[in-house]
Parts: sequence; structure tokens; C-alpha cells
Amino acid sequence: MSWPLGLEGAGGLVAGLLLGVAFGFILERGGLGDPKKLTGLFYLQDFTMLKVMFTAIALAAAGIGVLALLGVMDLSQIAVQPTYLWPQIVGGLVLGAGFALGGY
Amino acid sequence: MTAAAPRYWNAYVAGVALGGTLLASYVLMGWGLGASGAYTHVAAHLEGAVAPGRAQANAYVAGYLEAGRLWAQWIVLEMTGVVLGALLGAWTAGRLSWRLDRGPRIGRGRRLLFAFVGGATVGFASRLAQGCTSGLALSGGAVLAPGAWAFLMAFMGGGFVMAWIVRRAWR
Repeated sequence: MSWPLGLEGAGGLVAGLLLGVAFGFILERGGLGDPKKLTGLFYLQDFTMLKVMFTAIALAAAGIGVLALLGVMDLSQIAVQPTYLWPQIVGGLVLGAGFALGGY
Repeated sequence: MTAAAPRYWNAYVAGVALGGTLLASYVLMGWGLGASGAYTHVAAHLEGAVAPGRAQANAYVAGYLEAGRLWAQWIVLEMTGVVLGALLGAWTAGRLSWRLDRGPRIGRGRRLLFAFVGGATVGFASRLAQGCTSGLALSGGAVLAPGAWAFLMAFMGGGFVMAWIVRRAWR
């Protein structure tokens, strides 16, 4: 039960910067910096965003689950987004509308 | 004659790479990846610099200012990395150029106006939902947060409706 490492201070900030570099690099190489590909989902013509997003969610969820089963990951130390159902539903609707309008 | 820029990665390859990065974030930090929180920190600091009294009087904005210096915020560093990483990705793929991505039937001015209004709308909505497609849908989705999945379904709904309304902007 040593994970998550919970990096703090400079180590955490450096890890954040590097994770961000990987995040941005992958999004760009995957085509998710292209608003025509992103909005293509809403015209049922380009499913890149769905494929990338759900593959990533499935892999990370399975990874966290396996690590927890092996006893290396302490799930109680993992930040889970709190549920505020109506704000999240309305926020999702509005964010989706803004996304389709602006393209990102 | 220059060679054409390489095509984008296969979506499942990108998905596995992104999932690995997301998992690494949970292992290293105990939380996932985000984006909109960085903009909120920057906006709070801008308000704090321009109108300190007003910023301190707003409990939400003041909370962000109490977190301390901008460059000591994890998500600000992470988002800086996103910009650098995307720049690196485009550059090393030979895709780096100055251009405005838009549909074939929309003018530059209208595209920029739509981008501005859309961006402001996304910013507002991300505060309402306490997250965006990264910090809430992607990261929350991976830890099976109910609110993240509700948000994701609503996001699709809002997107499909607005996309139909502004279909001349993209198709």
C-alpha cells in the first residue's frame, strides 16, 4: 500500500509539468488539437475523440483496479470527483454547447 | 517540395498512451489530469492584480488566491506542460504552422467570434460543473465518479444540439 506516492513540493510540480507535456503531446499526435476532428463527433463523421477518451478511461480504470487488487494502490488516497448531479448535468450541457460552437 | 506532415496516430494507440499517462498521474499524485482549473487560477490572479478588493470579497476567487503563488500550483504547471507538449508534438510532426482551423463555409471573423463565445461558455460551464472534459470527464471517468459520467452524457447532448444549430460553421 505505498501508492499513490502523493508527491509534494518541487517533486510534485516537476511531475505535473512532465505529465502535462505527455498529455499535450499525445493529444496533438492523436489529432485532438484539431477542432474539425473534435467537432466531427457531433456530425457522426469523426469518432477520434470518443475512441481516444474511452480507451484512456478504460485502461486507467482497469490499471487502478488491478493495482488495488494487488494491494499496491490505496484507493482511499485517490481523489474522486464529488457528485453534484444537477450542476454537473447542466454544466455538461452548457460545456458541450460551447465546445461545439468554439471547436475545443 | 516538402514532405506531407505525418498523419495522426491511430486513435487506439493515442488512447492507450493517454490512459497510461492518466494512470501515471494517479500513481504519482493520487489525482488525475486537468485543464480548466489552471485557467481559474490565472483568472483569479488577474482579478487579484487588477481589483484586489473585489477579488478578496468573492469567497470563490479568494480561495484560489489563498492557494499561494501561481507557479506553485500543480495544475498551472501541468497545463503549461500541455502547451509545451502540444507544441513539441506539432513541431516534431512537421505540423507547426500559423493557421486558423475552420469549416469551409465560415469566414475568419465569424470563426474567431464563435471561438471566443464558445470559449467563454466552456469556461463558465467548467466552473458550474467543477471540471471540464479533462479534469471531470476523463479523470473522473477513470475512477468511476457518478458526476463525471452524468457530465459526459450531458456534454454529448449539449454538443449534438449546438452542433446542429451551427452546422454551417463546421460542415
